Amino acid sequence: MMIKFLGLDVDANNVMVLGPPLSGKSILVRNIVYEKVLEGFGGIYVTTKDTAEDVLRTMEDVDVKVVDCVSKTIFSDAPDTENIKRVSIMDLTGISVRINAFLEEFWKSGRRDVVMVFDSVSTVLMYLNPQMVFRFLHVLTNRMKSFGAFAFYTVDEGMHDEKVVAMLKQLLSGVIELRDDGNSRFFRYISPSKRMEWRRFDIEGREVVIS
Amino acid sequence: MRLGIPVLDELLGRVPRGKTVTYSIDPEVEGDVFGMQTLYMNLEEGYECAYVTSTMSPESIRNRFKEFGWSVDDFKNFSIVDLYSRYVGAISKERYVVEDPTNLKEIDRIMSRAIEENDLIVFGSLSTILDVCGNETLDYFEEWKDLSKKCVIVSNFTVWPYPNEVLGRVMDLSNAVINIGGIHHRVVLGHYYGILKVDWTDVRGRAVLFKVIKPGGVRAYIPKILVTGPFNAGKTTFVHAISKEAISVDRLGTTVALDHGKVEYKGFTIDIFGTPGQERFDPILRVLGGEALGVILVVDSTKPETFPRAKQMLEKTTKFGLPYVIAANKQDQPKALKPDEIRRLMCLPDDVPIIPTVATEGKGVYEVLDALISLLIGGGYGKLEGKA
Repeated sequence: MMIKFLGLDVDANNVMVLGPPLSGKSILVRNIVYEKVLEGFGGIYVTTKDTAEDVLRTMEDVDVKVVDCVSKTIFSDAPDTENIKRVSIMDLTGISVRINAFLEEFWKSGRRDVVMVFDSVSTVLMYLNPQMVFRFLHVLTNRMKSFGAFAFYTVDEGMHDEKVVAMLKQLLSGVIELRDDGNSRFFRYISPSKRMEWRRFDIEGREVVIS
Repeated sequence: MRLGIPVLDELLGRVPRGKTVTYSIDPEVEGDVFGMQTLYMNLEEGYECAYVTSTMSPESIRNRFKEFGWSVDDFKNFSIVDLYSRYVGAISKERYVVEDPTNLKEIDRIMSRAIEENDLIVFGSLSTILDVCGNETLDYFEEWKDLSKKCVIVSNFTVWPYPNEVLGRVMDLSNAVINIGGIHHRVVLGHYYGILKVDWTDVRGRAVLFKVIKPGGVRAYIPKILVTGPFNAGKTTFVHAISKEAISVDRLGTTVALDHGKVEYKGFTIDIFGTPGQERFDPILRVLGGEALGVILVVDSTKPETFPRAKQMLEKTTKFGLPYVIAANKQDQPKALKPDEIRRLMCLPDDVPIIPTVATEGKGVYEVLDALISLLIGGGYGKLEGKA
């Protein structure tokens, strides 16, 4: 199985999006969800940095399901809606259950193509210890594989111990790497069977544009 | 006091003081409601109850109770042990506040007081405390268990892929363990609970399917399995062979509405529905398929010309992604095709079980059910293993 976007052929179900802070990871993954949902995919966005409302504001004209791990953590107890489920970032079981609820909804409505974004694993690692996060991701990545969904997990480069990043790479079978040389941004995709060259990209408004 | 969960209350009776009960929860199942329901039912009976929160704020916990229609603030006998607020740097006005939720000594000091002052302590997530504070948490938990001669401790414990020694220790530290699992098939299609261990009464394992209703909480229900297949494949015979009690609505020897049977198997009570094979009844297939948890497709192994119709019926009933098993019936007939030949002719994937059966003699029918139940409840995450 393969998913195509921004000129990439991604052949892994679970992909790490790794890059330094401010290198464009969130914008990149939002573009992936936006593009795929427009094509008819079911889209799930797990956000640990911005509230659901902030995420949806950037994707107003598409139907995306959001697991909001921010609102409850900052003590704002806004209610759930049809497309937004809120949960505390400390409640990994709650996050897992809510992602599954959206997957079940897609499955029962006959939708089999699903893309999920988890933005970002680094925030979860700030609150919880790595072992706990690995166990959670072990369950989540298996679920994505079993469903046949494609999932993208953003990780801030330089924020974590090298061992932590190496262990995350064990769980996630492909990596989109981002880098910023001060003037331009680049990305490339690597998996056990693919290794592409660095490709330059720009961000225009909310859009990722390949140069 | 009681657990306040359907079926469990009948099987376990009252939980004696001094006991610890663990809800061992699949990480993909909404299981925290079990501990909450136990607490609320005992609040109503007037017991002093404290809820230990380590994953969300006290306000979120109160709202979570409200989702199920349980207004805990109406009860003066309710309190919260707050292991969350200080973790995220917030102020707390709860009766019990742990200033440093990463420090087990500090948690122990507050927990000892809470155990002394309450009849029931419910840990919203014991696994989260274990994750934050390390395996030493279980040494302290053992001390709390020893302290709790006058109270009952109930814990929600999410069974992440922990090392076996951790899971075994949790099992050993519990007087009763209730397994809360998921029916996995690409997604989690349903949930069940069953008793893994109990030391104050003699109960044989029994599994119950449940739904979480808001408001309402945990509600048990009976799962349905659909038996479908072309005309004269042996569906009615299959339903009768597998069920203790079965009735059929038929006319001139063929089913025109449906067969219905009940079977007790692996602790589940299952409703079996047999569908008519004729095309004019196809609208019924969709209705029954929408309600079912799994499908058994019965085919006449001597009539490959009926296989396209069998596949069509399968597509109609499994449109929503239900797991299915094929019963290759009439295997006692000389011209019966073997399962591999049926798989090839019907173009079925390798992972679909095809079980040879002779429904008229009851041969293979339980193997078919077994294969379907394995598809339904297999593939979950670690269960607590130990002395049970």
